Amino acid sequence: MGNASILLVDNRKAIVECIRKSFSEIEVKHTLFSAANENEAWSMLDGSEKITPIPKIIIIDINRTKNKGIQFLTAIRNHTDLKSILVFVITDSKTDKNKVAALNLNIAGYIHMSFESQTLNPFVSVLNDYWNIIEFSSQK
Amino acid sequence: MNQKLVNILLVEDDEVDVMNVKRAFSKNNIMNPLFVAGNGVEALEMLESQIIPLPKIIILDINMPKMNGIEFLKIMRENERLKNISVFVMTTSNEDSDKINAYNLNVAGYILKPLSFEKFLTSVATLKNFWQLCEL
Repeated sequence: MGNASILLVDNRKAIVECIRKSFSEIEVKHTLFSAANENEAWSMLDGSEKITPIPKIIIIDINRTKNKGIQFLTAIRNHTDLKSILVFVITDSKTDKNKVAALNLNIAGYIHMSFESQTLNPFVSVLNDYWNIIEFSSQK
Repeated sequence: MNQKLVNILLVEDDEVDVMNVKRAFSKNNIMNPLFVAGNGVEALEMLESQIIPLPKIIILDINMPKMNGIEFLKIMRENERLKNISVFVMTTSNEDSDKINAYNLNVAGYILKPLSFEKFLTSVATLKNFWQLCEL
């Protein structure tokens, strides 16, 4: 896939920084945007802060907020212009309460990962290799 | 994921491509049970009649006789039992319309079949690593 935008949704600044650092170390060629919560993310997808072209990929930990993550993903799946976005759920939560709901929304992957810097790079590296073998449509 | 050895269904009409997937699985030590359907109609029959155990992963070709991959996906996504299966398109079709339709039906990835077997092996190895990372 060519250069695309990736939107990371997480309210923990330290983790966003860790992921950003990992993207840089692994030389991920895609542009990383981040939103601190679902409302902020929505405004970047379909509101005043809209990213153009629309991100091809969303990375989110849906176990951080009660049901907000699932509501956010449901809204994406019901939106004509957003429903095709690839969603990767990454979580360090031990409870998988939202896993089935997320899989029913056809996320591309539900991934348990540790956000420590020494273990993050191998995870991001596998994801990046995968992003590099898949094709995206050129629209939007 | 690989430890649990989830079932994989390959929907592919070209016998050479089926052989290539089997060889690539073997060379990458992917031991998951692999079932094969020759087109969308056959795949739906296998899934709906429960002839095969429910797969967690489907590898789907696009251009096939009787029922193509996109038509198959549409029907699958409307079926309560089948709609949450992870689908990976593996095709020679580089048509933008196929990519748009496939992603609108929420495939996990759209992969162009590389022309050389060596490159195909690398793609399958990448898929294996990704599957091992994911919980299905």
